[in-house]
Amino acid sequence: MFRVVAPGALAEFTDFFQTAAARQFIAGRKLVTARPLAESEIAPLRAAPGLQSLRAALNPGAVFEHERIPFAGYPQDWPPEMLWAAGRLTLDLARAALADGFGLKDATPHNILFRGPEPVFVDALSFERRAPGDPIWKPYAQFLRTFLLPLLANRRWGLTMAEIFTTRRDGLQPEELYRWCGPLEKFRPRTLSLVSIPTWLSRQADPDDPKIYQPRLLADPEQARFILESLFNRLERQLRSLRPAAEKNSTWSDYMATHSYDDPAFAAKEKFVAGALAEFQPARVLDAGANTGHFSALAAQSGAAVVAVDLDAACVGKIWQRARAQRLNILPLAVDLARPAPALGWCNREQSSFLDRATGAFDGVLMLALIHHLLVTERIALAEILRLAAELTRGVLVIEWIEPGDAMFRRLTRGRDGLHAGLDAAAFERACAAHFEIVRSAALPGTQRRMYCLRRKGGG
Amino acid sequence: MLLAYIDPGLGSLLWQGIISVFIGFLFYLKKTRRMIVNFFRKTFRSPPRDGGPAAPAPLVKNAAAKPDAR
Repeated sequence: MFRVVAPGALAEFTDFFQTAAARQFIAGRKLVTARPLAESEIAPLRAAPGLQSLRAALNPGAVFEHERIPFAGYPQDWPPEMLWAAGRLTLDLARAALADGFGLKDATPHNILFRGPEPVFVDALSFERRAPGDPIWKPYAQFLRTFLLPLLANRRWGLTMAEIFTTRRDGLQPEELYRWCGPLEKFRPRTLSLVSIPTWLSRQADPDDPKIYQPRLLADPEQARFILESLFNRLERQLRSLRPAAEKNSTWSDYMATHSYDDPAFAAKEKFVAGALAEFQPARVLDAGANTGHFSALAAQSGAAVVAVDLDAACVGKIWQRARAQRLNILPLAVDLARPAPALGWCNREQSSFLDRATGAFDGVLMLALIHHLLVTERIALAEILRLAAELTRGVLVIEWIEPGDAMFRRLTRGRDGLHAGLDAAAFERACAAHFEIVRSAALPGTQRRMYCLRRKGGG
Repeated sequence: MLLAYIDPGLGSLLWQGIISVFIGFLFYLKKTRRMIVNFFRKTFRSPPRDGGPAAPAPLVKNAAAKPDAR
């Protein structure tokens, strides 16, 4: 991952990386590293066909290599817990940089990616030397729009990050939330400060008055710094008050306590998955339909870097909490495999789609207790499900086949049993043969379910 | 590639300005309080028993209690 820094920004960029704040956050793996490239490393870049337009800028000292974050998860893929953690890191960095005479010039979750469950600030050009007497944090409104207001909307109206950030790159406007609030709600302390007062002020002010946006410098730098530190403390208190509840429940978040397996069946399933992980030792695993992450944790404990996806943001939030508490290398993302996140932004090139990011990115894929949801609820053909699985994994697929007679399968079909009359394990195995060879399979005792360990044809 | 830019907002920018004025006022209250405290500390400190020059009053609360860093 290379970055070319324009000559005008170079001194500021390199100076920031010399500060105590930058060193501290890099050491804590919360800020991405930036290694200047030597002339011998730049020469091949100049010859690269796609970089001809940058050729004049490719000079020693101006080209940096950032460490690569293994898998990009964007704000629309996050549960609210991850947005909260990203907001916390943004404030911590802004405060630490202030002590070194630098300011954070934008405050958006798009500056942050996650390495496993931990946020990493990746846009190192977001720091600028600040005027000592400036008491205004310019991205204050952006911090509200992209962190505090989405968290407030999630808490109050249950909006997911996908619902907010898929259609709005810059989050929610105070005016937007103001329209959603009832008359009394507009006067509740938190809403008053974050939503109502900014809305009332914007109605009173003349948006074309250039004086509003002119910087006002104080004579006393100590006073300006005191104001900014107090502002960051205030934002931190507001962020803390919007922390997503740890015990948030949904239809699927209690699945581990309410699932249809008895103990021997679940133990057999666990043993089968652990056996496949031990045999193939996949370095990167996608757990599709991860629920609360029981098998993601199993894969992470076996040494794999795991991306755990589920459509239920409450489940994904629980995975994140567990991964963080137990220091498991799991990146949890709220992704519906049947309607995965699309490519976004200008020309659909600012953020790639989930499938573009995931295709061929994994050595192993787990699809456990998922296939009936795709077959019945989403009406996806079996051959299509297996084609997608073959695109996602380079090596092994561990998949659970569920017979149409299974109680959960029948609950989903709701009387439409005839739709899946021809589907059985033999039909499943025939469909698998197009992309996979069967390494082994095992029935789960006392159920109508069967585990399969499949190796992708032509894979590792 | 993310084409980031900042919209400073209007209402939120003005609200931040109002908050900043209030906090700026608090800064002067705090500074004035510190000056008054230091004045009384200097005025009412007890003279040393040997009649020599008195030790300077600490400017920071509890600074005298901090161990010598040597």
